[in-house]
Amino acid sequence: MANMIPNQHNSELFIFFSQLLGEKIIDPRGNSVGRLLDLIVNIDETYPHVTGAMLRLEKNRKIRLFSSQGFYFTDGHFTASFADDDLPPDKELAASELMLKEALLDKQVVDTDGAKIRRVNDLQFLIANNELYLVHVDVGFHGLLRRVGLKTLFGFVLRALFDYEMSDQLISWKFVQMISSPDLLQLTIAQNRLGQLHPADLADIIEDLDIHQRKAVFNALDVETAAETLEETDPKVQVSLIEGLSTEDASDIIEEMSLSEAADLLGDLSPEKVEGILNEMEKDAADDMKELLAHPEEKAGGLMTTAYPSFSPNCTVAEALQAIRADADDLDLIYYSYVVDEQEHILGVVSLRELLAAEPEAALSGIMDTRVIFVNVEEKKGQIADDFFKYGLQAIPVVDDDEQLKGVILFKNLLEVIAAKLGR
Amino acid sequence: MGNAVNKRVGGFLHAFFGARRWRKLWLFFALIGPGIITSNVDNDAGGITTYSLAGADYGLSLLWTLIPITGVLIVIQEMCARMGVVSGKGLSDLIRERFGARITFYLMIALFLTNLGNTISEFAGIAASMEIFGVSRYISVPVSAAFVWWLVVKGNYKSVEKVFLFACVIYFSYIISGFMGNPDWSAVGSAFLTPVFRMDAGFLAMVVALVGTTIAPWMQFYLQSSVVDKGLKADDYPFTRLDVIFGSVMVNVIAFFIILLCAMTLFKNGIRIESAVDAAQALAPLAGQYAALLFAFGLLNASLFAASILPISTAYTICEAFGWESSLDRKFLQAPQFYSLYTLMIFLGAGIILMPDMPLIRIMFYSQVINGALLPVILVFMLLLVNDKRIMGKYVNGPIMNGISWFTVAVLTLLSLAMIFFSLLGT
Repeated sequence: MANMIPNQHNSELFIFFSQLLGEKIIDPRGNSVGRLLDLIVNIDETYPHVTGAMLRLEKNRKIRLFSSQGFYFTDGHFTASFADDDLPPDKELAASELMLKEALLDKQVVDTDGAKIRRVNDLQFLIANNELYLVHVDVGFHGLLRRVGLKTLFGFVLRALFDYEMSDQLISWKFVQMISSPDLLQLTIAQNRLGQLHPADLADIIEDLDIHQRKAVFNALDVETAAETLEETDPKVQVSLIEGLSTEDASDIIEEMSLSEAADLLGDLSPEKVEGILNEMEKDAADDMKELLAHPEEKAGGLMTTAYPSFSPNCTVAEALQAIRADADDLDLIYYSYVVDEQEHILGVVSLRELLAAEPEAALSGIMDTRVIFVNVEEKKGQIADDFFKYGLQAIPVVDDDEQLKGVILFKNLLEVIAAKLGR
Repeated sequence: MGNAVNKRVGGFLHAFFGARRWRKLWLFFALIGPGIITSNVDNDAGGITTYSLAGADYGLSLLWTLIPITGVLIVIQEMCARMGVVSGKGLSDLIRERFGARITFYLMIALFLTNLGNTISEFAGIAASMEIFGVSRYISVPVSAAFVWWLVVKGNYKSVEKVFLFACVIYFSYIISGFMGNPDWSAVGSAFLTPVFRMDAGFLAMVVALVGTTIAPWMQFYLQSSVVDKGLKADDYPFTRLDVIFGSVMVNVIAFFIILLCAMTLFKNGIRIESAVDAAQALAPLAGQYAALLFAFGLLNASLFAASILPISTAYTICEAFGWESSLDRKFLQAPQFYSLYTLMIFLGAGIILMPDMPLIRIMFYSQVINGALLPVILVFMLLLVNDKRIMGKYVNGPIMNGISWFTVAVLTLLSLAMIFFSLLGT
């Protein structure tokens, strides 16, 4: 194309992968060396640049890999700097390199910006200094039609009938996480973008993936993110993810989860697996877990957590705050502190707001609220949800038949019951 | 609560069978579903019509074909289920990733048209069978379309599967009505075991139709997706295989009884019929009012069942291939393509039946032709995929399995081409 100032024309700055695939590569003498089958990029870079190409040779139909040093890119075409009878040696694929068509085109990727799984219809390169850089992944219908060869026809019909102009749906490479094969995920672990996602979004994505991708994505997460994600995942998927892990890894992740969520998960696993995981855990945590596991899931005892602050009545505000600060990482609840006697009977409750507002040397017995709302361990979900609504609480303590404090139910753990009541 | 019940039943089974055995039995019940449902959906309005015609026109002489048909069905479905279990992906997913956008695009258009044709014939089946019970199609079709919509949009996979498994049980009405025809069992036995082959066009066309109605393109997509949806793993595979075999046998047992009933009554008395509804009406004076009603009820169940599954399966398959959101958990605006396709299928399927002077027979006929034309293409893709080591690993077809399946594909391709040829000849 005879454009005198090509770089000022927008469309000449970018080129689609589908426009390049199958193109003839011409050598300096004007002979065709072969056709382009695939491009190789180095994915360690923020915007990977093309480092090689796969060609089907013109003369003997053989498939070979060449380094990009043998090519330059001008006027929308690759030109080979070698002659078709003097071929450079085969290129070896480095660990950080991958074949674009094989690894990306038509495959699923995670769009970490939109927190969605998308299918790749096309790839877009930026042309700079006669080199190509992978900058966008095309996931739109427009791109699909381009691949199919119906873009012009559809575009014409839509313009004529609806005055509608189709546009590309491009995702910046910065927000793309490849998932198509387990090896790929290992390869890109250095620039793992899954950590940018909210655990709830990650959980949705994991549920939408197939079994193998699920495993690969889950294993690529650090322990903390894995635990947070697991808390948000559907129980059935939780079980399959945990059963695929070694007992050791599983117990590491489960220890990071909140007690009540972890107990629910263990309740769904096979007894042998649970025993193995409990053996791997620290003794205190394992004991807490066993106590929670003894309660049926749909009653108060099965919903509660045992990681909450409790103090004796003569403990001072300063001491209580100090203790909460020290244990905060392991507590599922810090908003309420419960005041108990030696036999763990509930005497009163103090909110964090009250602790902060009170004088440091005041005793808890002086500031606590003695009208404590609590439920029995045998109480059912529906009634507990009603209590939450009625009293506007963030958490409800759970007591046994002797009115000893056993645990606390967080509002969060009843969300699924409440959501059902709201007609969700 | 479900858990508590599971535990109680488990305890009972435990006491009864001993630990290891009950575990296996329980696993089997937990893992069945996809194979049985897929096979039974296949006994839809078109299938029942074909079996009725086979019995009414050719008596017992076509019964033997059910033996090889069962074998072929098992071979084909086993491959699909294996691909689903091993790859964890649906068939359209695999086709897109392996063969690219262009092939997938045209394949999906063909699949959409075929399935739309099938859906129309299911609603035709609903309209016709309800008219036997004295309900106008202007009531039955909109109500059932609304029911189908509600069932799928409001249910989840687990609850919908239970409804479907229950629907499978209703197919036994055909077995009961089969017995009501008072069959001559010795004649049935010898007809079943001695192949008869005639080289006249009508007979051949009927054989082709029997095979064609039993193995449809959409089934492969549906079976594989539901295996994947159920989250089945490679360890579960032996159970999945049992599920597939059980389903394939069951569908042909039902077919056997439909052919039997029509042969023993309509063929014997020289009554000619055009459709499954004709069969139901003609049965009353010969096999009794109850047999006729059971037959019509079976047709209603089959049509309703298939009308529930076809639109949803089509929408899933297409969205999966193109990477569109495809979940019923999402709201309309979050998955617009999915809901549009789903709605379009039900709307057109039910709507076309309600339009006066619609050439229903021709629509069903053309959908059958596209079905036949699409099947070999899908089967070839399936065989290429199931032999791809990168996808299947050690679960690729062995040489014997490959021999059987390529032979099957070749025969099916010939039969499909023959069916198209005969169909075009017939018009």
